[in-house]
Amino acid sequence: MIKWFIRHQFKEMFRSTVWQKNLILNIIMGFFLLVILVEALVGGIVLADKFHEIFPDDDPVKKFNSFLLYYFTFDLVLRYFMQQVPIMSVQPYLHLPVKKSSLINFVLSKSFLSFFNFLPLIFVIPMAFFQFADYYPISIVWVWIISVFLIALTNNFLIVYLKKQLVANPKVVGIFGLMIAFLVLFDYLNLISFSAFSTLIFGELLKHPLLIFVPAFLLIFVYSLNYFFLKSHLYPEEIKIRKDKKVDAISNIKYLKTLGKTGTLVSLELKLWWRHKRTRTIIYMLPIFLLYGFVFYPQDIYSEGFGFLIFVGVFISGGLMLNYTNYAFSYESNYFDAILANNINIKEYLRVKLVIAIIVSTICFIVTIPYVFFGFKILIINFVAWLYCIGCLSFALLYTATYNKKRMDLAKGAVFNYQGIGASNWLAMIPAFLLPIFIYLPFGLNDLPYTGIFLIGLIGLIGLLFQKSLLNIVVKQFFKRKYLMAEGFREK
Amino acid sequence: MIQVNNLSKIYNEVAVLNISDLKIKKGESFGLVGNNGAGKTTFFRLILDLIRASSGNILSNGEDVSKDETWKSFTGSYLDEAFLIDFLTPEEYFQFIGDINGLSKGDIDEFLNNFAEFFNNEIIDKKKYIRELSSGNQKKVGIAAALMTNPEILILDEPFNSLDPTTQIRLKNLLKNLQKEKNVTLLISSHDLNHVTEVCDRIVVLHEGDIAHDILTNKDTLKELEKYFAV
Repeated sequence: MIKWFIRHQFKEMFRSTVWQKNLILNIIMGFFLLVILVEALVGGIVLADKFHEIFPDDDPVKKFNSFLLYYFTFDLVLRYFMQQVPIMSVQPYLHLPVKKSSLINFVLSKSFLSFFNFLPLIFVIPMAFFQFADYYPISIVWVWIISVFLIALTNNFLIVYLKKQLVANPKVVGIFGLMIAFLVLFDYLNLISFSAFSTLIFGELLKHPLLIFVPAFLLIFVYSLNYFFLKSHLYPEEIKIRKDKKVDAISNIKYLKTLGKTGTLVSLELKLWWRHKRTRTIIYMLPIFLLYGFVFYPQDIYSEGFGFLIFVGVFISGGLMLNYTNYAFSYESNYFDAILANNINIKEYLRVKLVIAIIVSTICFIVTIPYVFFGFKILIINFVAWLYCIGCLSFALLYTATYNKKRMDLAKGAVFNYQGIGASNWLAMIPAFLLPIFIYLPFGLNDLPYTGIFLIGLIGLIGLLFQKSLLNIVVKQFFKRKYLMAEGFREK
Repeated sequence: MIQVNNLSKIYNEVAVLNISDLKIKKGESFGLVGNNGAGKTTFFRLILDLIRASSGNILSNGEDVSKDETWKSFTGSYLDEAFLIDFLTPEEYFQFIGDINGLSKGDIDEFLNNFAEFFNNEIIDKKKYIRELSSGNQKKVGIAAALMTNPEILILDEPFNSLDPTTQIRLKNLLKNLQKEKNVTLLISSHDLNHVTEVCDRIVVLHEGDIAHDILTNKDTLKELEKYFAV
């Protein structure tokens, strides 16, 4: 029976429309994943090799062990957002003479393959052989590696269970995140030492290898928890991830009601974004866009130049906006006919989209003004990048968005999900980021960096001044493309 | 009310619809029948300017539907689930349709009251999004929304399909009343010959994109149609 399950799963995977339509895209994605994997492996090895140089004052074994509990707590949060709960559509098998237990075991063991289970091994295995092996016999080192892996698997099944059990409630995760923040803070202030506790338990494990039965027992426990839960709930309507049955309150926002038809359209967009998993994950990723600067601003190689900072500035102010405008119509593919057939003024409809794009970008810019801490130059660059985003990019992307006619499925998360994204969307992103750098480049090379920066801002400003005519161009384009879009969106 | 001139729609060099001349008068109830692939939905989509005609045009109230958008203000339509915004609750959806058509809160409440019987307590106050409703109930939402704005032209694609018998009968009465009392121009397609002959004064049979028959309904029409389709 298991043989059949595996066969069906492979077929499901390879016959999904994403694979078949986008072979080249998949090859490119596969290549990037490979690069990332190799980089992580090399990074893990280098880190392990140099660990005693990075923390010269500490015992490397104790120091590394002190991070482990933090890692696993963080792992839980990350998994909560990003890990897919393994669901095989069990319905077609339920009426067949298949043992429930083998069905459940198969569904559960699918999650063994989760990327998160193997992530710690990238760091732990090199660490074990470059550092730990100097102090402990190899058999004990293996016990340690296996224990870490067992805990990763425990986390895996814990999150599967929690996601099935709990109402998917972001508040719970928020509280959990706050608790971690406090642990770090207390640790830092030497009030409670979570890291010392981590050192202690993994130290004990190295001393008494038989303690490996603790993580093993935990794993068996959470696995059985899942198993028995599924066993008693193996009905299609019950094994779905439980959802909050309440309807959210976006309809009740009073301010939007005062805006008439504009408010109605804005409220529709808000609901669209909040009530689909794919768009919600993009909102959850917002901190990545906003905090992007922290990766580059503290490093002199980047912060002394201009070119790269322009890119960072566009990314900060435009990251979320780009995700909104680039797919503005594909997000609505499910009901695009309704937009066309109803009494909606198309110009008003497009204007609302533009205004939302501009507001989103402006909020991102305002929130990140504190980057001025890294220098006034950063603020100036981010300011012109913002002008470029709202005056130029917003129109351009809405225009190119009309070229995508692929139906988009919003029920799945956005992370590594390229379903419904067309070649035009990818192509549009390249000039979006490169154009301001090209504008800057001739001036930068002639030692007039601020003239180049000024010009980027000026282009954005001109775009804003001519917004009426630019909007008319987008409207014309929309009317030209609407049949093709509607036809594409109807294809499931 | 609706005038079709030399209309054709060609996909991959095959004509899926070809109507050289067709007039639908104001207040007429027009039924479209035909087997799968006969071009019924294509025709309705063309009237609603959802696809581009390969040649010819459709005038609605004298204006070409692909050039002028005024038809939207007097046309109600429901073809398929793509007309529903499925992540809204039915209440929110009616509110949305009401707002974009400039209806007041009173208008919307009155409308919901009038449709209470049609909804049969399965639509309103259920705290469900439209995507969670059964296909029959989704259809009720779509049909009701199409009627909300008191349209002069009403276009429904297979409205009886997937409705329960009680609702089918209610819908038939509703459509007959609309036509008689409000002089609404009614365009419906159906696979159910009984229903369509009961509701419509005029029946057009499409066959592979061409008009095969154009009949004014009388007591023999049902038999005639049954004979035509029995192969």
